[in-house]
Amino acid sequence: MLMPSKVKFRKQQRGRMRGMAWRGSTLAFGDFGLKAIKPGWITDRQIEACRIAITRSIKRGGKPPFIRIFPDKPVTKKPAETRMGKGKGAPEFWVAVVKPGRILFELEGVTEAEARQAFALASHKLPLPTKFVARATAGSGV
Amino acid sequence: MSFTIRAELRERFGKNDNRRLRRSGKIPAVVYGGGGPAIPVALDPKAILRILHSESGHNAIFTLEVQDKAPARVMLRDWQWEPVREELLHVDLVRIALDTKLKVRVPIHFTGEPQGVKVQGGIFEIVLREVEIECLPEDIPDHVTVDVAGLMLGKSLRVSELPVSSRVKVLSEAERVVAHVIAPRVEEEKATTEVTEAAPAEPELIRKRKPEEEGAEAEGEGEKENKRDTKKEGGKES
Repeated sequence: MLMPSKVKFRKQQRGRMRGMAWRGSTLAFGDFGLKAIKPGWITDRQIEACRIAITRSIKRGGKPPFIRIFPDKPVTKKPAETRMGKGKGAPEFWVAVVKPGRILFELEGVTEAEARQAFALASHKLPLPTKFVARATAGSGV
Repeated sequence: MSFTIRAELRERFGKNDNRRLRRSGKIPAVVYGGGGPAIPVALDPKAILRILHSESGHNAIFTLEVQDKAPARVMLRDWQWEPVREELLHVDLVRIALDTKLKVRVPIHFTGEPQGVKVQGGIFEIVLREVEIECLPEDIPDHVTVDVAGLMLGKSLRVSELPVSSRVKVLSEAERVVAHVIAPRVEEEKATTEVTEAAPAEPELIRKRKPEEEGAEAEGEGEKENKRDTKKEGGKES
């Protein structure tokens, strides 16, 4: 599972997700990409599930996907049946904060049909709506 | 192909007026360079999209007609997209002098299937999609086309091997890799799961706590809990 190797502080506040992803919103490495169109947190497990789904879908066809998000935000949780108070819970998992417009994954060396199929499988593992983008379309940064 | 775009002078500025302008179907733009003043204009985004999707793409030189001003030869310098709806938000246009050399980025097009992919089962990877060149405006190529059919596994194509016209000077580093054929990586899923299981649950802290601090905190917590317990007990008794 993806997580930072070193952090300055063990716990973080939840924060807000306002605005759009002005950075990381254009294709940088591949020909096809999966773009988030709503904000949300994507956990390390969801990213891993997507990676596995994409890799299995493209089989020998292409390179492994480019993962454009990184879960660098710790999420804490209190144990079950615990009374409120006594401080913040222990870090449980890691999430990537995703804003609308952010490119999540990219693929290169596959056909558009293969990329669409792979990203459709991956999008089912995500908690937010996404759309498929290709390099030739408007807004892809070409 | 030559394009002509008509633009209107923009007299109202700022976030609110620009939003109103976009709602009316136009986008704000600015024209500068060529020794002239910077002029804020409003134009039709569809015309700019037509240029961006044309064969020459963002390197197309076109005529801009602004009301009460002489037509100018311009090209796109910068453009901004809305990340979700992928609509144009703003464009920068720069006036071009046809006798001055320009520095532009030209896309690289690849033709043919590399031998390293067809025969040896490798993966063709594009490293550089655009090359920076310097030339006169009329000599700007739409794209640089390179045949990669002879590329074998482990071999790479470099900037120095790109077929460019003698009137064009390539500014990108000659040794820079444009594309190569690499061996496919077989991902071992079992191995990754083992690694994740063995990986530490928490990352290392950059600023390690001093042992005194830790001790003091632990004591502090202990004291707090004791106090709370005594409070509770006290409360019950009373």
